[in-house]
Amino acid sequence: MHRVVITGIGIVSPIGSTNAAFWSALVEGRSGIGPITNIATDRINTPIAAEIRDFNPLQHFDPKRVGLLDRFSQFAVVAARAAVKDAQLELTEELALTAATIVGNGGGGLTTLDESYLKLYGQGATRSHPLAIPRYMPNAACSQVSMHLGLKGPTFTTVSACASGTHAIGQAFHMVRSGQAPIALTGGTEACLVLGTFKGWEALRVLSTDTCRPFSKNRTGLVLGEGAAMFVLERRDQAVARGAPIYAELLGFGMSADAHDLTAIDPDGAARAIRGALTDGKVNADEVDYVNAHGTGTVLNDKGETVALRIAFGDSADQLAVSSSKAVLGHSLGAAGALELAATALALHHQTIPPTANFEEPDPDCDLDYVPNTARNAPIEKAMSSSFAFGGLNAVLALGRA
Amino acid sequence: MRFAEANNNSAGSGVEIIDSVRTIIAESLKIPVERLTPETRLDELGAESLDVIEIVFGLEEKFDISVPFKADQGTRVTVPGNGGPEEIEFSTVGDVANIVQKLIAAKHRAP
Repeated sequence: MHRVVITGIGIVSPIGSTNAAFWSALVEGRSGIGPITNIATDRINTPIAAEIRDFNPLQHFDPKRVGLLDRFSQFAVVAARAAVKDAQLELTEELALTAATIVGNGGGGLTTLDESYLKLYGQGATRSHPLAIPRYMPNAACSQVSMHLGLKGPTFTTVSACASGTHAIGQAFHMVRSGQAPIALTGGTEACLVLGTFKGWEALRVLSTDTCRPFSKNRTGLVLGEGAAMFVLERRDQAVARGAPIYAELLGFGMSADAHDLTAIDPDGAARAIRGALTDGKVNADEVDYVNAHGTGTVLNDKGETVALRIAFGDSADQLAVSSSKAVLGHSLGAAGALELAATALALHHQTIPPTANFEEPDPDCDLDYVPNTARNAPIEKAMSSSFAFGGLNAVLALGRA
Repeated sequence: MRFAEANNNSAGSGVEIIDSVRTIIAESLKIPVERLTPETRLDELGAESLDVIEIVFGLEEKFDISVPFKADQGTRVTVPGNGGPEEIEFSTVGDVANIVQKLIAAKHRAP
């Protein structure tokens, strides 16, 4: 069993695509949520999202090759390159041969799918673009990261809706911990802000029309987002030997399934994943200082997650600082767990707890410390990041200070 | 059925609406339509949140209306009434029919 650390973080997000910009917006509670600008909104009843508005693929990819990548793959590759650079890592051929690449996404190339179906069904096209399938396939982002960085070890995609990124990172963590791979590039990506996605989520009646207010009584629902976060995970001894920057140590990973409701959170299932991460990391509940919550800003999630935290932490729940980054990042589905792990690792690194932004009104059913609106400088030794997905699939990571 | 025939000239009459509402609810919940009276509560029939939004979708498709139902704001729906907006609980079959009727009336009033 090796100790595993995060040595590189790469981000493409609605609040900035450098670690510094991302962190300062999170700490200041500057939200990336705003009116939709990237697509036509005449048929969308909930015309807000946390979009990435300044992403130009031609800044990152050869014009001749950019057509091979759907937007979700572009995000993943850009974030992966940034993570490797951030880790000051030289990917030697020997390392590349065994490096794991595990990426989570809830959908796949949804932009490609939306465009293809519009042409076929909407415009009566008789043929599809020859790259439609390789751009759309749900493993495309992972494959593109592998190809662009030359990573040749165990490589696959995890799909578990809103927990996809966390499942990917947890799997990568366990592979490095067990010695199956010396290093891993892992994270989550999603580019889901197309008409089909909005209409599907609208039909579930959970989208807000103004903004996302997690744990706040006057919440109005969740807001969709997009982005990617990728990490370099490596053995702690190797990282220390090469003098790499270390953001945080990954301590434990817990997973569970509710086997209950297709969309509603089950507090017992969520609590089992939290307890699982604590057990896996040999962390006591009373040692945890901070939880970056799933915190979607829906009544069902926020109440259910509060109950789950009380079940998992017992009396020490009242000592926890809990915040949701979704007021700032929106909900980027399969990328959410990865972007939120970045928030959690940076919180440990900076010893600062990012707030729950847009917190306006306490809710008697949500009675924990949600760090409302203002970041808090506080010693953080242990922290967790939680993802609870549709389909009842839960994944939670436990981290320690580097 | 007798009442529906008596009213067959007034599109969207109360009886026609409640019959369609019963059919949509019965099909969504996979239960015989005979079990549904105006007083039947959806929760008694075991309708969960996803069932309810499927029923809402069925109503919107059938009547070409938009039901302002939000999963997050309980089961109260605000609909336009004669004396301004009114809140109706999305609770019994009769409530659902009432909501639909008011939304259809508002649609016909709209320019």
